[in-house]
Amino acid sequence: MNAEGLESFRDFVDSRSSALLKTAVLLCGGDRHAGEDLLQNALVKAAGRWQRIDEPEAYVRRILYRQQVSRWRLKWHRREVSVAEPPEAGAGTDAASAAELRLVMRAALSRLTARQRTVLVLRYFEDLPEADVARLLGCSVGTVRSTTHRSLARLRVLAPELAALGLAEVERQPSRDYSPVEVRP
Amino acid sequence: MNVEELLRDALREQAAEQPPAGTGFAEWVLALRRRRRNRRLASVAAATAAVVAVAVAVPLLDSGKDDVRPSGVVEQQGVSAHPDQSPPRDLIAAGNTALAAYYIPNTVKRSATEAVYERTYWLLDSKTGRYVKAPQWSVVAVAPGLKTAAVLEKSLPASRIGLLDLTTGEVKRWIEVDHGVAGLEFSRDGRKLVATTYSDNPDLQVKPKGSDSWMGKQPSSRTGFYVFDVASGKGSWSEVKLGGGKSDRMSLDFINSRQDFALSRDGRYVWAGNPMGEIGKQFWDLTGASVPVPDNEKYLDWSVEALDSPSGRLVAGGFAGKKWHTSSYVVDSATGAKTEMRGQQLLAWVDDRTLVAWDIGKGANESEYHQRLVLVTIGSDKEVPLSGFRKDSGTNPDNGSGRWEPVFAER
Repeated sequence: MNAEGLESFRDFVDSRSSALLKTAVLLCGGDRHAGEDLLQNALVKAAGRWQRIDEPEAYVRRILYRQQVSRWRLKWHRREVSVAEPPEAGAGTDAASAAELRLVMRAALSRLTARQRTVLVLRYFEDLPEADVARLLGCSVGTVRSTTHRSLARLRVLAPELAALGLAEVERQPSRDYSPVEVRP
Repeated sequence: MNVEELLRDALREQAAEQPPAGTGFAEWVLALRRRRRNRRLASVAAATAAVVAVAVAVPLLDSGKDDVRPSGVVEQQGVSAHPDQSPPRDLIAAGNTALAAYYIPNTVKRSATEAVYERTYWLLDSKTGRYVKAPQWSVVAVAPGLKTAAVLEKSLPASRIGLLDLTTGEVKRWIEVDHGVAGLEFSRDGRKLVATTYSDNPDLQVKPKGSDSWMGKQPSSRTGFYVFDVASGKGSWSEVKLGGGKSDRMSLDFINSRQDFALSRDGRYVWAGNPMGEIGKQFWDLTGASVPVPDNEKYLDWSVEALDSPSGRLVAGGFAGKKWHTSSYVVDSATGAKTEMRGQQLLAWVDDRTLVAWDIGKGANESEYHQRLVLVTIGSDKEVPLSGFRKDSGTNPDNGSGRWEPVFAER
């Protein structure tokens, strides 16, 4: 990387790393240290190709998603994530405040597979339409829809407190994806 | 509240709670990168030492400082230079390589968050030897011989490709296409034309939340390519998914929003850069089936405009210098051995030893973007200026007056 590239790399990291870190932490199920590692590795990779990249933010984000899936495939053992208030099993939805439900949701998210969580982060945090998620991940809209469907269903299994919540739009449609379900080690 | 709303709220709350990345994050990343590179180099060296029993001399970088040949050696036959012109008004050429056209880029804002990167072309009028503005085209590829250009109209992706007669300025034929085209590239012999198809304009720029700069819209909307026989105008389309193949597996490959295809040297394959891939490029046969990188193309670097030399023996490589000490590599296409030579950015081969490049002038300490076209020769420290200096346009070299981008072709 020449001096001009270094300067633009530093500018990019200074201006965008906080935003990218938010996504990285969410992809890692709330683990800040894992999120920092993920982002750091993505930026090291991007630095190696910096002057060939026209859209650095999109590139780094793509590496984040890719690394997260790769780590999963390598059976990377993630640290157990602690939440501020561990949800009590069997707590009734009626009694749970919205804040408590959000904590329950976080805990459940941290137990999804990386692929499931990546699709949910893209859909519900990045607010990308299904077609964009499909193009981003190189799969069909149907696969995105079925993965979303299955991930939401999995959240309900992991957190029975969510049972009383209304169905999401995608949950009202039947899933037609028969690809193997990832099983956590 | 349904589960989607709760999920959205939970994710946003968790994101909002994250403290900002620490100051000095960039330096931390760069230091980590240096450590990893050093470790990799050390492990490669150790592995090499273990296998190679005989010491092998590392080829010294040839800076040309000891070049004692007369300056005439680097002055090619048929050099047409205009060091006082930027952008050029009159023909710039060296040997068989001519500046066939150039364009001035401009990022045109459509809204606060959307813009389009546009090009305004000037084409060489072969009768007068002057460059003439051709504002009706958004993309121009010039065929060897400077007689024909393939052009696209302003709205991208385009529904037809024009074959322009450069001697008359008239479109000889329109090729209608079913898949919108936004990129064009001729084969080396000019007989084939590869057209890259996109479902959306690949020159669209967006401004992400919190960012001050424009960037291409992601993910890329590239869909595939046509290969046309130029004489008959016949061709077929091949689909290429973002992952590089025809399958719909969940891949996470990345390409730039505009990542055009080109034909390989021998015209047998289509290839394109793949910035995320380990080898940085992918090859397909003319039906769109993915093929391994051919042996003689493994060092080809899509991000260096000059690509491979006329004989195919050498490949133009990346920047080798340090800010004000500009130099570039050329790479032996068989062995990968690198040779350092003059030039900040290698643009087009003139012959197997000489290239046209961008370079900064001596004492040009105000900007790395204050560049001019020069002729550089392997093994020589001399440069022959071909054009005047491009103006620096501040932090965005792609936008603003005084910037122009060359299009070279064989004459």
